Amino acid sequence: MKESKYFLKVFLGTLGLFAVTVLLLFIFFNRNNSSSVGSKEILIQVIIPGEETEEFKLSTDAYTLREALDEEKLIKGQESAYGFYIVEVNGRLADDSKSEWWSITKGGEYIEYGVDMINIQDKDQYELTLMEGY
Amino acid sequence: MPMRTKNIVTVGIMSALLITVQVGLSFLPNIELVSLLIILTTIIYGWKTLYIIYIFVLVEGLIYGFGIWWINYLYVWTILMLITMIFRNKRSPFFWAILSGAFGLSFGLLCSIPYLFIGGVPMAVSGIISGIPFDAIHCVSNYVIALTLFKPLYHFLNWMNQNMQKNP
Repeated sequence: MKESKYFLKVFLGTLGLFAVTVLLLFIFFNRNNSSSVGSKEILIQVIIPGEETEEFKLSTDAYTLREALDEEKLIKGQESAYGFYIVEVNGRLADDSKSEWWSITKGGEYIEYGVDMINIQDKDQYELTLMEGY
Repeated sequence: MPMRTKNIVTVGIMSALLITVQVGLSFLPNIELVSLLIILTTIIYGWKTLYIIYIFVLVEGLIYGFGIWWINYLYVWTILMLITMIFRNKRSPFFWAILSGAFGLSFGLLCSIPYLFIGGVPMAVSGIISGIPFDAIHCVSNYVIALTLFKPLYHFLNWMNQNMQKNP
């Protein structure tokens, strides 16, 4: 009797934990991140502190921001276990020794996805900003 | 060996073990043995685990650099230790698997605290959401690792601790 109660507790605990995990994954994958089909025009701003901001207007059929930036050869990066990681934008390499990295925002808002998971829509505006300090 | 020296040796060995398993498994995203080892050391060594955690955190900073993630390390492992202290008498691998899994799942949430002060709520929420898939991996891997390794590692560390206490 005591043993069956214990296993019921274990079962419910495990079930609860994985139910929360699945729910969070469901929320993550069903967030508004749609892409429009066909030709799109998006604006990319490359912001480096202390330098003049550069703007790029891209016309693309790509679905993701990474595809659009790759088409224009605007970014270079590396695949990692955590997804694609941008290391260079418009020829400017983030200096690891200075803890520099490239941040992506959409209209000034933080984005919950990596560059290869951001689906783009017509008239989107993205900022690639060189940040210092992890 | 005097007790004081034994403690220093224990803290040194366990800190080295934590660093070794962290660096050794660092190529796998959010699959780690550190959570289980902190749970086990807390069960066996109690408050001495605080020394082990902070030596581990200091060396991690020296290896990878002292970034914002390092501030997270200053409290996340201590939170796990404090929770473990509450349930220190439990020996069920299933219990520790659930606790370790829950810790893995909430890791992103715990690590978002510094971002509240840097970029406010939007930055913290963005960080939490972008980390959900990695927290899910962390949860499942912590659960499986604790379930399979809790008993053998507990017996081994306990045996090592008892031998150290017995031998003069």
